Amino acid sequence: MAVSTPSGPSRVRSAGRWFDVRHRGPGTWAYALNRITGLALVGYLYIHLAVLSLLARGPGSYDRFVDLVRSPLFLALDLVLIAGWLIHALNGLRLTVVGLGFGVRAQRTMLVVATGAGLLALVVSAVLLFGD
Amino acid sequence: MTITATLEVFRCAPGGVDGRFESYDVTVHDNATVLDAIEAVWANHDRSLVFRHACHHASCGSCGVLVNGSEVLPCIVDLADALRQRSPVRVEPLRNLPLAGDLVVDVTGFFERMLASTMSITRTAEDALPLDADDDGGRSQAVSVPDGLARFNRFENCVECGICISACPTMATDERFRGPAMLAALGRARAESADPQQREHLLDLADGEHGVWRCHSSWECTQRCPQQVDPAESIMEQRREILRRRFRRRVR
Amino acid sequence: MIDVETAHAESMYTRRERPTTAWVWQAATGVLLLILLTVHMIAQHFIVEGGLRTHAEVVDYLRSPVIFVVEHLFLGTVTLHAMLGIRAVLFDFGLAPATERRITSWLTAIGVLTVAYGVWLLWAVAF
Repeated sequence: MAVSTPSGPSRVRSAGRWFDVRHRGPGTWAYALNRITGLALVGYLYIHLAVLSLLARGPGSYDRFVDLVRSPLFLALDLVLIAGWLIHALNGLRLTVVGLGFGVRAQRTMLVVATGAGLLALVVSAVLLFGD
Repeated sequence: MTITATLEVFRCAPGGVDGRFESYDVTVHDNATVLDAIEAVWANHDRSLVFRHACHHASCGSCGVLVNGSEVLPCIVDLADALRQRSPVRVEPLRNLPLAGDLVVDVTGFFERMLASTMSITRTAEDALPLDADDDGGRSQAVSVPDGLARFNRFENCVECGICISACPTMATDERFRGPAMLAALGRARAESADPQQREHLLDLADGEHGVWRCHSSWECTQRCPQQVDPAESIMEQRREILRRRFRRRVR
Repeated sequence: MIDVETAHAESMYTRRERPTTAWVWQAATGVLLLILLTVHMIAQHFIVEGGLRTHAEVVDYLRSPVIFVVEHLFLGTVTLHAMLGIRAVLFDFGLAPATERRITSWLTAIGVLTVAYGVWLLWAVAF
């Protein structure tokens, strides 16, 4: 008997499953983080482009803006941004290599290496940001 | 020796209506599996409990459920292990498939995919089955068996339990996704085929937005598979093959 | 048990889809971004003494021909990568093919507008 697909929860509600890492492995963490950072970075791209329009208005407004973002709060936000980049970039590199069929069996190892490299790069960035 | 356990079992009407957890206390032999415990619930508490099972040794693939949140075949999970993980032990139907009632999901979409993959691997023992009506001396003339049913046999390790479908995050929202089981079957069928045209066709079926490219590499299918089928690796291999073919066509 | 007639009926899985290169572009732009973002960041924060802190410094920086080209390349690559990413997430909803085509058109339009705005900004600031 052919059973028609019953109307389950709406697709948007089901999308919560993308980010449900309970009882899941490290691959799901990587997947969920990649998606969250990806969407957030698109948001940042547009904020960045909008803010840079200040440059077109001449020195006054842009220089005042730079003074604002050099406060410790904004430097901390910069660190969050860098963390987002690192997660997205390093995991993306792993997805590219594995997704082209190379080193498929080493994907977990790559995840560990990427996590280590990312944390190291984040510490270096923090030192550079707050160092001076 | 016996053990006593409490099971929290998901109950619902078809379509997931009136979904809820109900608790049952069962006393079973101390080397019982989770499936034994589910059967004890059915035998001693509620004969209306709907669940699927057959072989009790991980070869039929019909009993797949979530035990404590993870996809497993409960026929090969020790109740004692499940209890150590979580008490009461929680039993739920597989995800990403329509709920048919209690612990049973509707696998129509799953088998539509498996059939599309052609599943050309036929085991010797299954060859002997009277697949054509003529083979059994006309005893089952009323049954008309279409051509090509022999292809319906399962491919190698896959027991068609649907666990990978439940574990895959993309399957949660994309019904058009061919999914890990079908893509693994496509890869296996292609490896088996000597017919270049058929091999091209199988690769074509794996290509496309809702084919291999919809996989986002969470690796859950491979991690949960009770039979080491490794759909994720097969998906990646087919991507490489698709790209290689595309490149060759460009160059020519 | 599987109903043989249902099982043998044409399903959406027995038909081939159009081949796609979206994932390949996503990966290629991703790898390119890794290089371009590194250049974008290092050039702005470390090569320029003390980083770009005033309007005048930014104008100076953009007037370097290499940087001017790199920033255009970065703009185009990052926008393509972002649009492909949004498209990939939306396609995960298993929408109707017509809806998917509309999504692709809309994202193409948004991407073109984004690049156009960015190019205007680069030229307006540099000259």
